[in-house]
Amino acid sequence: MISLIPSWAHHYDEFWSTLRKRNLWFIKLRFGAAVMLASAVLSAEFLLNLKLTAIQETALYTITFSILAYNVLLVYIRQFVKCSAEAFNPIHISLIQMSLDLLVLQLLCYYTGGIESPLFMLFVFHVIIGSLILPGRIVYTFVTATIAAFTLVIYLEYAGILTHHGISGLLSAPLYNNNAFIVLHLSMFAFVLIMCVVITNRIANELYRMEQELFDSLDKLKSAEAEKQKYIMGVVHEIKTPLSALQSYLDIILEKYLGPLDEKVEEKLSRSRVRSQEAISLIDDILKISKIKLMDELNLEKISIVDLISMLTDRQSVNFHKKVISLSINNLRSNDGMIEGDRLLLEIAFSNLINNAIKYTGYNGKIDIDISDTKNDLTITVSDSGVGIPQEELNKIFNDFYRASNIKHKEYYGTGLGLSIVKQIITRHKGEVSVTSPSKLKTASNPGTAVTVILPLAV
Amino acid sequence: MSKIIIIDDDPDILDASSLVLTSKGFEVITATNPEDGYEMVIKNQPDLIILDVMMNEPDDGFFLAQKFRRANITTPILMYTSVSKATGMDFEVGVMVPVDEFVEKPISPEELISKVEKLLKVRIAR
Repeated sequence: MISLIPSWAHHYDEFWSTLRKRNLWFIKLRFGAAVMLASAVLSAEFLLNLKLTAIQETALYTITFSILAYNVLLVYIRQFVKCSAEAFNPIHISLIQMSLDLLVLQLLCYYTGGIESPLFMLFVFHVIIGSLILPGRIVYTFVTATIAAFTLVIYLEYAGILTHHGISGLLSAPLYNNNAFIVLHLSMFAFVLIMCVVITNRIANELYRMEQELFDSLDKLKSAEAEKQKYIMGVVHEIKTPLSALQSYLDIILEKYLGPLDEKVEEKLSRSRVRSQEAISLIDDILKISKIKLMDELNLEKISIVDLISMLTDRQSVNFHKKVISLSINNLRSNDGMIEGDRLLLEIAFSNLINNAIKYTGYNGKIDIDISDTKNDLTITVSDSGVGIPQEELNKIFNDFYRASNIKHKEYYGTGLGLSIVKQIITRHKGEVSVTSPSKLKTASNPGTAVTVILPLAV
Repeated sequence: MSKIIIIDDDPDILDASSLVLTSKGFEVITATNPEDGYEMVIKNQPDLIILDVMMNEPDDGFFLAQKFRRANITTPILMYTSVSKATGMDFEVGVMVPVDEFVEKPISPEELISKVEKLLKVRIAR
């Protein structure tokens, strides 16, 4: 059994999906071809004044109908295709398509005059297409068979064994019985066909090879990126160790385990503790991001986002009270579909959004969390009446370490990694996240921000 | 008075943790590597073991915890970790990781004291 899969196809997923797409494209094209054939027959009779015999007409319309029929059948059997070398796969569909098309073309040529028919040029088109999807030797077999069959039919007509169906009104004298004409035409036909296959095959192989090389490089880049992330994690960990020790001593001193402190010393040490805490939360954020980037698999489970969000807002209730922020969670859903996701990661993502909303919203502000759904998606929007984000910076907000210009160096401490973490997590869940400012809760003094997360519903 | 053994390769963490715990009246013994730590636990029969997750090798702490459990030492174990659970390091209290509680570094004195007291209470209840 010869392998139907070309040797260059290492990246099976891409290979199969390309093949599937091409097959579908050819099926669509064939519906067009059937329409074109029917209209060509009609226009030949009415515009070019060519006379078709009753047999020819019947044959041509039957062929048109057959093309439509087997094309519908192809659409139907496409659903049973499995992308696996052992099963009924897209290559088989390609083979079936190619065989049927070549057979139909052979018949078309026969019923329109054999060697006299201009339709034999369509063979060129078919072998080029074949060379694009099938392995070389299969296409060469097809070409050899096509040339042999075509030659056989022509000479059977020449010998009078097969009836000749010339188109009357096309030629001033018949040519199917002219051996010199046949030899010249057939040899040119064979030459063009073989050259087309050789050239197309080479170009296609070269293109495929380059494509596969690109995929290989992409794989290498991905593993290099993973290595880099691991390295970063290692280094950042090493930095955290001495900082943790430093923080522990500062805690002990400031909490007076070693005795009373001079007021000035205490103030400066408190600042030191704040600064070292900043460094540690930055490190924790970097570790989080690296870890998420390195995660191969998510721990998927069915999650109710409404429950998750009310759990997270409960956890933050102290902070809502502290800043007298009024929170309203609006469940606007028409169904109660669940999300399939990693609970821990989604908790991190949404608690980041809620914490941000609290952090950047002033006293007596408002935060709205709206949850709505469509047939396939769940949309969660966290709006606040906070400081907002300048219009021209909205597109940078998801970058690592990005902090909006209106909050930098102010009382808001942050690492600029929060939204980047959110984006990583939501993207891993095949969702989308976007930010708008001003939000629907804008006030005279504050534009507010709205972060919208769209997550696919579990099926 | 409850006896606590702290095993960590960072002398400053040992010092800081000892300071906090001795100030609360606990008797603290320290060890800077897993081998010494194991011996001291056998010799001193503490009421609580505090163990750093990473010593010479990452996972040293886990291995040591398993070693204690295999030797039928049921003393509660509090583990110091450098990465929180939130970073996806799935530390779960259980069979694979036979420890009773985790504290993420940097360790705040209150958190340390409250977790130590909680574990000791469970110990007495047992």
